[in-house]
Amino acid sequence: GGVAGLTSGFGSMQLGGGAAPVPGLQQQQTQQLPPQARAGPLNQLYPTDLLNQPFNVSELELPPPPIILPANTSVTPSPDANCAPKYVRSTLNAVPTTHSLLKKSKLPFALVIQPYGALHDLDDPVPVVQDQVISRCRRCRSYINPFVTFLDHGHRWRCNMCNLTNDVPQAFDWDAAAQKSVDRWQRHELNHAVVEFVAPQEYMVRPPQPLVYLFLFDVSYAAVSTGLLATSARTILDSLNRIPNADRRTRLGFIAVDSSLHYFAVPKDDEDNGETSMLVVSDLDEPFLPVPQELLVPLTECRANIENFLTKLPEMFVNNQSNGSCMGSALRAGHKLISPLGGKIVVLSASLPSVGYGKLEMREDKKLLGTSKENSLLQTANGFYKSFAVECSKNQVSIDMFLFSSQYQDVASLSNLPRYTGGQTWFYPGWNAGRAEDAIKFASEFSDYLSSEIGLEAVLRVRATTGLRMSTFYGNFFNRSSDLCAFPAFPRDQCYVVEVAIDENLTKGIVCLQTAVLHTTCNGERRIRVMTLALPTTTSLADVYASADQCAITTYFSHKAVERALSNGLDSARDLLQGKITELLQTFKKELAGGSMGGGLQFPTNLRGLPALFLGLIKHVGLRKSAQIPSDLRSAALDLLSTLPLPLLMQYIYPRMYSLHDMPDNAGIPDPETSHIVLPPPLNLSSERFVPYGLYLIDDTQTQFLWVGRDAVPQLLADVFGVEDRTLLHVGKATLPELDNDFNERVRAVVQKSRDHKSRGVGSIVVPHLYIVREDGEPSLKLWAQTLLVEDRADQGMSFQQWMGNLREKVV
Amino acid sequence: MDYEALKEQWGEVEDRDGIRLSWNVFPSSRMEASRLVVPIGALYTPLKEKPDSPVLSFEPVTCKQPCRSVLNPFCQVDVRARLWICPFCLSRNPLPPHYRDITQNAIPPELHPSNTTIEYKLSRPAPSPPIFLYVVDTCQEEDSLAALKESLIMSLSLLPETALVGLVTYGTMANVHEIGYTECAKSYVFRGSKEYGAKQVQEMLGLSQPALRPGMPAQQGRPMTLGPASRFLLPVQQAEFQLTKALEQLQKDPWPVASDRRNLRCTGVALSVAVGLLESTFQNAGGRIMLFAGGPATEGPGTVVGPELREPIRSHHDIDRDNIKHYKKALKFYDNLSKRTAHNGHTIDIFAGCLDQVGLLEMKGLCNFTGGHMILTDSFTSSMFKQSFIRIFEKDANDNLLMGFNAVLEVLTTKELKVTGLIGHAVSLNKKSTSVGETECGIGNTCSWKMCGIDPNASYGIYFEIASQGGPAQHQQAPQQGMMQFLTYYQHSSGQFHLRVTTIARNLSGPAGDPAIAQSFDQEAAAVLMSRIAVFKAEVDDGPDVLRWVDRMLIRLCSRFADYRKDDPSSFRLDKNFTLYPQFMFHLRRSQFLQVFNNSPDETAFYRHVLNHEDVSNSLIMIQPTLDSYTFEQDGGQPVLLDSTSIQPTHILLLDTFFHILIFHGETIAEWRKAGYQEQEGYENFATLLEQPKEDARDLITDRFPLPRFIVCDHGGSQARFLLSKLNPSTTHTSGAGAYGGVGAQSAQTIFTDDVSLQTFMEHLMKLAVSGTN
Ligand SMILES: [Zn+2]
Ligand SMILES: [Zn+2]
Repeated sequence: GGVAGLTSGFGSMQLGGGAAPVPGLQQQQTQQLPPQARAGPLNQLYPTDLLNQPFNVSELELPPPPIILPANTSVTPSPDANCAPKYVRSTLNAVPTTHSLLKKSKLPFALVIQPYGALHDLDDPVPVVQDQVISRCRRCRSYINPFVTFLDHGHRWRCNMCNLTNDVPQAFDWDAAAQKSVDRWQRHELNHAVVEFVAPQEYMVRPPQPLVYLFLFDVSYAAVSTGLLATSARTILDSLNRIPNADRRTRLGFIAVDSSLHYFAVPKDDEDNGETSMLVVSDLDEPFLPVPQELLVPLTECRANIENFLTKLPEMFVNNQSNGSCMGSALRAGHKLISPLGGKIVVLSASLPSVGYGKLEMREDKKLLGTSKENSLLQTANGFYKSFAVECSKNQVSIDMFLFSSQYQDVASLSNLPRYTGGQTWFYPGWNAGRAEDAIKFASEFSDYLSSEIGLEAVLRVRATTGLRMSTFYGNFFNRSSDLCAFPAFPRDQCYVVEVAIDENLTKGIVCLQTAVLHTTCNGERRIRVMTLALPTTTSLADVYASADQCAITTYFSHKAVERALSNGLDSARDLLQGKITELLQTFKKELAGGSMGGGLQFPTNLRGLPALFLGLIKHVGLRKSAQIPSDLRSAALDLLSTLPLPLLMQYIYPRMYSLHDMPDNAGIPDPETSHIVLPPPLNLSSERFVPYGLYLIDDTQTQFLWVGRDAVPQLLADVFGVEDRTLLHVGKATLPELDNDFNERVRAVVQKSRDHKSRGVGSIVVPHLYIVREDGEPSLKLWAQTLLVEDRADQGMSFQQWMGNLREKVV
Repeated sequence: MDYEALKEQWGEVEDRDGIRLSWNVFPSSRMEASRLVVPIGALYTPLKEKPDSPVLSFEPVTCKQPCRSVLNPFCQVDVRARLWICPFCLSRNPLPPHYRDITQNAIPPELHPSNTTIEYKLSRPAPSPPIFLYVVDTCQEEDSLAALKESLIMSLSLLPETALVGLVTYGTMANVHEIGYTECAKSYVFRGSKEYGAKQVQEMLGLSQPALRPGMPAQQGRPMTLGPASRFLLPVQQAEFQLTKALEQLQKDPWPVASDRRNLRCTGVALSVAVGLLESTFQNAGGRIMLFAGGPATEGPGTVVGPELREPIRSHHDIDRDNIKHYKKALKFYDNLSKRTAHNGHTIDIFAGCLDQVGLLEMKGLCNFTGGHMILTDSFTSSMFKQSFIRIFEKDANDNLLMGFNAVLEVLTTKELKVTGLIGHAVSLNKKSTSVGETECGIGNTCSWKMCGIDPNASYGIYFEIASQGGPAQHQQAPQQGMMQFLTYYQHSSGQFHLRVTTIARNLSGPAGDPAIAQSFDQEAAAVLMSRIAVFKAEVDDGPDVLRWVDRMLIRLCSRFADYRKDDPSSFRLDKNFTLYPQFMFHLRRSQFLQVFNNSPDETAFYRHVLNHEDVSNSLIMIQPTLDSYTFEQDGGQPVLLDSTSIQPTHILLLDTFFHILIFHGETIAEWRKAGYQEQEGYENFATLLEQPKEDARDLITDRFPLPRFIVCDHGGSQARFLLSKLNPSTTHTSGAGAYGGVGAQSAQTIFTDDVSLQTFMEHLMKLAVSGTN
């Protein structure tokens, strides 16, 4: 049997409705219980032996343990009454009733929140309550949701968070405008756990801000010579139609940056004196605007002039010899320019800020890498970057960094700007537009970035049933007050982790956690996205373990480890992870496995991936012990570890590997029913899986490797790459040729499908680079690909076998 | 020789050498000199146009170091020994080999007696073509800005094709336009509220960057010889299109201005940036920064008045009462900037086009130290601005601009004479030599001055003292001569350096009391030279002190040179060459140069600036305006007394104050004119009469710079006050019966003033001069 037996078993199971049981578990038939009673029995605990029945990668694709609620818990029988794991996942799908039980479990209680499932509403629609009737609890301000209770013949509702009874708005039953009665049971907010309310005037402190993009172009010699400026300008030009502008209020601004600031005054298209002028400011002391208007202009009214400008921009700096960058000053100037409105500052830079505010030094020393001194390189070198980011947050300014330096750029310092402003750091080491792959990757990603429908002036708050308290928040935002996270711009490709504390004993059978994101859409509408999650409570440790979500737990610890790495260093972060997995195994052994395991290592089936995921984290480029990893690369990886949506994060930690040379006949072609390309079954990340004549795809969502075995047959090479001989195969960044044969088409389809974020329910702009690696080719490239083989022994990292043996020894 | 003959001789000297001396015979002792009261002085116009004189295209023959005098007609030449003797240091210098063929009949031009002034074209080329950097205020009404733009664009066609041009504009901020950039309009912006040092300007404009990154190929088609500055300053022929476009697109300063506030105008920053630009790129290359100011600086360094309208701009009274917020700071700022500019060898011209003041008082050093022009007009739409501006670009017969750059004027003297200073638009080069005197008059303690800008009309007052204690050596048979040599090196606008040499020799007086001295007194030159001293004093001293000084000097001069019996005023007589001098002083006392309270501080600065630039005859017009009268009785204008008695009902008057040209119609004439007789048949003679002064006024304007304000007014009209303020108040409301019994005719105009009349002034003068107490 073993793994092969288990995996083949999945296919035959009828898994439905998003609530699939883990292998070996049968969903319990629940009896009809009165509301508020405890549910039960909950998911059953199925311990397995981690050593005899090792985890299989495909288990990571499984849905989390189902949330088993008492019947009739929701006011409508809607299948969407509870929040889908796509939006909010709890580490524990059965919540301990007491703090002490939680503590005893050693498991974290946290929510993994991903409010958006795609970059565009069209790809992930949620029901929208249009009538501006928003019923909220008078005391705790929760939004009415499927888990409230109606009283008094439906005139009142009881809050499922704080128990207060509130009046039901008349509009729930009577349409005053149309003068007719309506059916309240049709209301979205009573049928769907995830809804969006169109907010009335009271939810605005000012008129909804327009979408604003201010581009800060690095125009130094480095940026010009690598083609960054030209590619950026061209991409914006080509994407002007994609930038959200439905309300025709979207504004753009442009500042070019070397050791001076170059502002551009763009007149409206219908003006006589219609020429864009460049205004150079070299006085970096205190930012000032050279003209009072025309620096931030409406896209619609200046479209032609903007197009002209973007067409000319690369030419304007083609002879620029400056190699300075005053990006810090540029940011302050940009902030001054857009802070009256708020908006996005988009930094496109290939340089270390070397002059003006926030000036940084080349502080990386290869000798420090791999030592304890490396930790300081991961911390910000200049207090400006955090304090300025906080100032930006206050003024609804969000910053995204697109970084391209071929040399040290201090990603650690620069990434503070996105971190506290709801932005993101995009890192393109060694990028050069001269390579088609680089140009295409960036242009495609940047264009998708520009097209994404972001939210503006957003705040996120999580309310929960009395007794629960949101204690810690992780992600890219500014924690404005104890429970309020501020996002000048709300992206659609990030997730957030909120740790929940149990302050009081939970007496009810279920608890609810409601996440609300108040924001302005990029079309100028004020809205609130509300996601209500109901979870059963339990007094049993076995229930807690049986309903624990290994992916959510790993996400929580990924954020936690990043936080630890930045504050206490990499050793400390790895120790945290190793200590935690050991502790969990020990706890399980002591509390639930009766203290003895024979020769095995017992753990619940639903958590079997945890040791591998933790090993993946410890060996991840962001955290692993190594003297070879440039600190910029590490910092960028740490940013991703603390922002990626869960499905991508899991793969980033434990990449997917597919064997292509022997993929099943149905793989690489569309499924006849869904018409989605079928992927081959994933393989665990071990070189033991390799055959020397094989062809494998290894994909961590940021990078894809096509591994060509040393004995790959000529026909395979000819079919896939169009080369006669292995030695003719070009290694490194590549694009697969489109050849007229079935196998080529299928390989390309697999590569393509592996990049399909949409089908995985996440928004992402990333187009991973594809590297062709020959087992007998370029050693450094091969070594890099091998670092993704988490289960292999490498450099200073344990193999999976060693890791498990090690854990077993510790769990005495 | 009688006075008229002398006058003619002096006129010839002025034509030939551009010089007028207060005394044409030099006293031979210090004692004698001190009794002259009016110092020995020369009003010298170094670049006076001499279209008929050849320019020598070879290097001058000079005396050995440190004398460096230039061979001139007064040198003794020993042809056989091939030597010449320097009259200044008495050194014997060898004649250069190619002078060996000199004979009595074939002498080189510089030795020819008529060539006491001669010009050499030197082999040293100018470091660059002339530079013109326009600094334009954009805080202006649309029509004014439009007119200015038009003038500026037009001026490009007046510049030599190789001249370098640049553009700085300012308002709330200062913009340096990179006209060498062709992709789009591009300018460097400087904050208006901040003082930028020279190095900062240089760095911020990217002028300190190395031209090329190592390993980078040089850009084709870029004149690398000019370095990074070629981005901002380009030859007209190359930049005309870009610059014209930049000028055409100039907009009013875009920053909003509240109704209770003035425009924010950072004149100081704009100027210091312009100065910094030239300083770092073209030090000591001839260039002009031309400021076009539409109002006062209200922002940043050099602020003249605050931006709030309720704060009025300072007046003479405010300055008098020391009630001034910005004045001293601004003055210090501009003076420092002036010194920097002068040190760099650049000129600043100021064109004010504003009904209100723009701060010329504070900024005057910019022009005065650098030899720049100062033009004060009401608006850039006025013809006064337009025509004066054009006139700056006038050219000579060879199509070279009539302007010189970076001139150095050095004065050599024979041992009897020492130079005590210079008054004019120049700065000291602090050069010590045996010619430098002990006392100081004007800019002294040097024998050498620098004029960053110089033009053919620029005239300088240069003052001397007598060094020798005793009389001339008795054994000399021939009358001894004192000599001066003026050496003016300058960058000619043709692109070469030139040297103008003027050498003059005058007899030294004989034994004490030699009447030749008194006879050699040029009262006109003396009046102008004394006026310059008075104005120079007025810049630092209190007004009343200066007036007392003028009076005292006049009384002392009269005591010394008049004929009288002690304590008998009625016996007072002056020689012909002294008679006008008291009048000149009378009018000087009353002039806008010394009586400032009727004018704004800016006007005072402007008037004084012009006085210090002009030659003797123009200066005299400013001191004592000319007045011509037109009637049916005579053909053409007749000079009449600058006196209220000259106002007659049937006369038309033409007043020329140099700054104003005014036609005044007497009461009757005015009535006829209103009635329109000039348009009726049979009254052609009236029409002709009305035309005559107009034609003469046109003639006056032809050569006048700056263009004067032209006023036509009638008896009783408000504009007539310009005339009345200039007239001798012989018939004031206080002169009572005198108005009928004295010089005044019955119909004479009564002037409401407390000023003393010339008659009263003369009476006092005579009384004091003869009292012998001076
Ligand atoms: Zn409540
Ligand atoms: Zn000599």
